[in-house]
Amino acid sequence: MDILLQFFINALMLGAIYALAAVAYTLVYGILEMINFAFGELFMFGAFLVVSFMLPQVSLFGVMVPMPGLPFLLAAPLAILFVAAMGYLIERCAYRPLRFAPRLAPLITAIAVSVALQNLAQSVWGAQELSYPSFFLLEAKPIQIGGAYISMVEIAVIVTAAVVMTALHFYVKKTRMGRAMRAAAQDVEAAALMGIPVNRVIAMAFIIGSGLAALAGIFYGAVYLFAHPHMGFMPGLKAMVAAVLGGIGNIRGAMLGGIVLGFAETFGAAYLPNGSAYRDAIAFGILILLLLFRPQGLLGTRLPNRLADRGAMAFKGSASAIDAGLARLSAFFAGRDLVRYASWGVLAVVAVSVFFIFPSPYWARVFVFVLIYALLASGLNIVVGFAGLLDLGFVAFWAVGSYFTSILFVEVLAKGYGVDMSSVWWLFYVNLLLGGGLAALFGMMLGYPTLRLRGDYLAIMTLGFGEIIRLVATNWVDLTRGPMGIRGIPVPSLFGYKLGSPVQLYLLGLVLLALAVFLIALMVRSYLGRAWVAIREDEAAAEAMGINTARYKLYAYSAGGFFGGVTGVFFAHSQQYISPLSFTLFENILILMLIVLGGMGTLAGPIIGAAIWVVFLEVARDMPFIQQHHELRFMALGILLVVLMIFRPQGLLGQKRQPLMMS
Amino acid sequence: MTLKVENIKVAYGMIEALHGISFAVADKSVVGLIGSNGAGKTTALKAISGLLPLSGGRITLDGRDINGLAPEAIVKLGIVHVPEGRRIFPRMTVRENLDLGAFTRHRDATVERDLGWVYELFPVLKEREEQLAGTLSGGQQQMLAMGRALMSKPRLLMLDEPSMGLSPIMQDKIFDLAREINASGTTLLLVEQNARAALELATHAYVLDTGAIALDGKGSDLAHDERVRKAYLGEE
Repeated sequence: MDILLQFFINALMLGAIYALAAVAYTLVYGILEMINFAFGELFMFGAFLVVSFMLPQVSLFGVMVPMPGLPFLLAAPLAILFVAAMGYLIERCAYRPLRFAPRLAPLITAIAVSVALQNLAQSVWGAQELSYPSFFLLEAKPIQIGGAYISMVEIAVIVTAAVVMTALHFYVKKTRMGRAMRAAAQDVEAAALMGIPVNRVIAMAFIIGSGLAALAGIFYGAVYLFAHPHMGFMPGLKAMVAAVLGGIGNIRGAMLGGIVLGFAETFGAAYLPNGSAYRDAIAFGILILLLLFRPQGLLGTRLPNRLADRGAMAFKGSASAIDAGLARLSAFFAGRDLVRYASWGVLAVVAVSVFFIFPSPYWARVFVFVLIYALLASGLNIVVGFAGLLDLGFVAFWAVGSYFTSILFVEVLAKGYGVDMSSVWWLFYVNLLLGGGLAALFGMMLGYPTLRLRGDYLAIMTLGFGEIIRLVATNWVDLTRGPMGIRGIPVPSLFGYKLGSPVQLYLLGLVLLALAVFLIALMVRSYLGRAWVAIREDEAAAEAMGINTARYKLYAYSAGGFFGGVTGVFFAHSQQYISPLSFTLFENILILMLIVLGGMGTLAGPIIGAAIWVVFLEVARDMPFIQQHHELRFMALGILLVVLMIFRPQGLLGQKRQPLMMS
Repeated sequence: MTLKVENIKVAYGMIEALHGISFAVADKSVVGLIGSNGAGKTTALKAISGLLPLSGGRITLDGRDINGLAPEAIVKLGIVHVPEGRRIFPRMTVRENLDLGAFTRHRDATVERDLGWVYELFPVLKEREEQLAGTLSGGQQQMLAMGRALMSKPRLLMLDEPSMGLSPIMQDKIFDLAREINASGTTLLLVEQNARAALELATHAYVLDTGAIALDGKGSDLAHDERVRKAYLGEE
């Protein structure tokens, strides 16, 4: 009984934090139909800022700076205001210029902003945890209720969340601005026609949302006593899940979703078999079940009148629909050049790389990574660039290929049956196909439940899938050896001749990449590719033209998955070691950004993007300031992508019009 | 109140939808814009209400340029646009919809009085005050859309296809109400595919054809014009 009560208190506290952040996601989504991934990072900034304001001095960019040492009750509102201002600026600079762009554009921008912010925080405050200084809430003695304890911090979290939510509820229901916000959420264009200043309403939603995210982050940090650049990542994702759980766009739903998730996670971790290990997977499991059976969320309702919603979409798309039509035309003509561009791109990479590779094994190793990223990006590009389906779970396919071959070689053959691995050298080549095939099957598995979903829901669902695979790889120790990873994977060899040197691996990778590009070009130029592009441009129209969109989406997932799996096999054997650390969401986002950098929906774009990025990563290592702050490189990439999405959405290499339509 | 539209051009991306059209709306009049699908009628209204940017020409209200103003500023000047398809806020009550119509008048004590007038014009809205707007019938939604727009106390009310999707009886009712609104001193700019009804109501009408003005004249004259009768009234 006592333990139950204790869990109940913990669940309520966690749920309150999720609920606060979930409301942030839902507020913005309600109006813009856009998931602002950056709320997770604003959550983290809330914690960092409050600690910084409270300390007498803080190390910023490695320099000790005196700080005011404010009391918590002053520092917290100040931090919230600061973060709210950041949220406003982000909206103004990064999202507003994309208000009328196709929906994939702001989504990718949000991801890029999130990457930039996370790495900014790491540059400013360093990669270590920053501890909360002691203050009155932490010093107070916990209160005993029955056999359970509740700390002052927990009480503060629960009470503050309840007060803030109630205030927000009244704000939205009763005030003029709140009512305008609800109106804009139902029909942006009609709201504008009624004299509602839509831009101000949207800015307000970002300001309130960012403030709520900061408040949640401040509390989260106070409960766990630290701030860290990655601390917003998981809670941010879970808050997003909570928002979807409640019915995204629905404020009361987000509150309920947060609480439900807090309870599910706390009790699931306690009572499910091996629950604490899979704690983080619970949220994503719930998410997938929810999207399968009740995609509108717990409190979401189907509208009595869908007309208004369609109207809102037309508002967003009205100008771009014709753009897209034009783009379709130009893409049709430009399509003939795709292969030519691609071969030029590959040739250029080869030509440039040859100068580096042969003289220096170091650069050969770097270029092996260029090839691995190029292969991954090419695979993901099928799904994102050609079929227009945002996929944040792509790394799972890479993981499946890697683990498949590693487990087979090391765990089963070598350890299980005592087979000499060099005697089965040919199996590597077979595994390229088998690993690819297995990943393609996983692609189908991922694809099937997402068929009914569009746009942002799809992105969240794939994200959940990717995270679950990573958590399984981390926690199913008997199969995958968990976080230790698998060592001793043999290098590829050919008739007993080892292909282990960086240059040999490079050449092998080059052959794989050439084959992959060739196959992808064949697919893209066939009826398959035309169906994909049609789905990307306008799914409803594609369906009306007789394209079985469900089937072609599945093809896209499995084709992308296949190349992910093949890359995984090559990756495992070329690195000889794999661990779950390689297959994170961040890696997925990076691959996505490389595609955007080079040009989505082009054959050469992913390759060029990968080459530019990996080479830059190496070259920048020696630049004076970056030497101390490696993460600035990732921040630069994030900022570059935001700028690119606004001014050159087709990427560096893309043709003049490379539209990114999503739903 | 005089609205003048002078040689305006509007483009969606690279495609120009209006190739320089001009028309004027005199105070207290009813001006009709008729034409077939895709002629540019809705585009013209959206340009006036600030939803679409102009790529040429100018729009003036009483001699003052209004192009480039945000939609909310244009509402404040007294021009309100009832969009095609009604576009009421479905998950808000009828009363909340009407209150939002008066969004720009939050310090105006006469709002309450206008609400009374709107309820007098559309008694059914009064009856359904607390009902969610999305549950109203099509005709009632059209009335709500018009009532909501009237709550901003417009000098010029722009109605885009008010009869669309309504039964003939309800269409007549809507046109009667439009006449009544005009009689109370509100200028109307009416876009319709139902050309006959529009020409009956309009003091002056313009025929739009693929982004250009093809004809204009008094409503009653156009209704008897051979070309209009053939092309838009379906008469031989």
